[in-house]
Amino acid sequence: MSFSRSPALLGLSRRLIATPASASRSSLVAYRLLSTSPRRLASLGHDHLATPPPRSPRNTGTLGAGAVPGSDVNPYKDDASAIDKAVHLFFFTEILRGMWIVLEQFFRPPYTIMYPFEKGPLSPRFRGEHALRRYPSGEERCIACKLCEAICPALAITIESEAREDGSRRTTKYDIDMTKCIYCGFCQEACPVDAIVETQNQEFSTETREELLYNKEKLLANGDRAEAEIAANLHSDHVYR
Amino acid sequence: MSLARTLRHIQRAGIKQWWHDLNYIGDAKFGRLIGQDQFGNRYFENLNPLDELPGRHRWVDFAQHDLNATQVPPEWHSCLQHIRNEPPTADKVMQNMSPPWKAPWVENLTGTRGAFKTYNTAAPKINAWEPKVTDRGA
Ligand code: SF4
Ligand code: SF4
Repeated sequence: MSFSRSPALLGLSRRLIATPASASRSSLVAYRLLSTSPRRLASLGHDHLATPPPRSPRNTGTLGAGAVPGSDVNPYKDDASAIDKAVHLFFFTEILRGMWIVLEQFFRPPYTIMYPFEKGPLSPRFRGEHALRRYPSGEERCIACKLCEAICPALAITIESEAREDGSRRTTKYDIDMTKCIYCGFCQEACPVDAIVETQNQEFSTETREELLYNKEKLLANGDRAEAEIAANLHSDHVYR
Repeated sequence: MSLARTLRHIQRAGIKQWWHDLNYIGDAKFGRLIGQDQFGNRYFENLNPLDELPGRHRWVDFAQHDLNATQVPPEWHSCLQHIRNEPPTADKVMQNMSPPWKAPWVENLTGTRGAFKTYNTAAPKINAWEPKVTDRGA
């Protein structure tokens, strides 16, 4: 079921395409003169050029059909002939080819990833559930600078701070409304001490809205659980930061 | 998937494992066991393109019948989602980054009594008036 596109009738089209090349000589010469006219026209009105540029007399040019650029290239050389096109049109071969592709797909294995057993690839920069990190010593990183609160476009972060007993400034309240958050990642970009990060966890859906109003303890607990993964992701990206 | 692949995997994995997989993943799978996490979930890998399509070459066999994607701890989650190439048992970076104060992983407990319930971590700013009468010495 294959209609080969034989170049049987190419001779006709070649002859057809050759006809404009054998146009009258005078028109060709006129075309040639026009294409070189700027220099000739520009020199006419100038007195300091004593002699006009040399001109050959009319109808004495030696330009032939071969001088037309591109006339030796047949743009239709490898294309289908009109009869080929008509055959493909009348026998609906495009529809048949489309149906054949559909049939091929029917016998191919499906590209279905069986979640949650198998999962698609995720970037180390993926922005999922938030977490507050700690230093390796166990001291919490956040210094309550409120940069994340300021940059958050969804106004999802609320921070209150106080001096701790040893005099260092810490947050007493660090709330993120996960239903407001648009997971833009600005907070982790703004944070000067890498305290707030977005982990790779995307499976934190809840049954009630209330469970998504995270407070500081929840965020710190997220960080404590996933610290190995967070740190490994930051490590794999550290050359670009 | 092809019948030849299914028969091959049944022969390699055994009838029992095939029936188990059929009830969970829903496919005959066979691969190299790359590890087991603290909850007993087992992780497999098969990089042979004749056996597995790209994207289906790593999978987890959950220990629990009531399975849930969050039963995978974060270290193995990195491996399962192809974030890191190596499984955590062979990943030096992941091992070095694990702090001693790392907390045990808890799956998503929503819908159970262990679900997170939010509360205020700061002292309340509006307090009820507590009438206190000053002693007038009378
Ligand atoms: S990810 Fe964006 S919207 Fe969400 S808390 Fe951070 S800054 Fe706000
Ligand atoms: S999380 Fe970072 S940016 Fe936000 S208040 Fe704490 S230190 Fe500042």
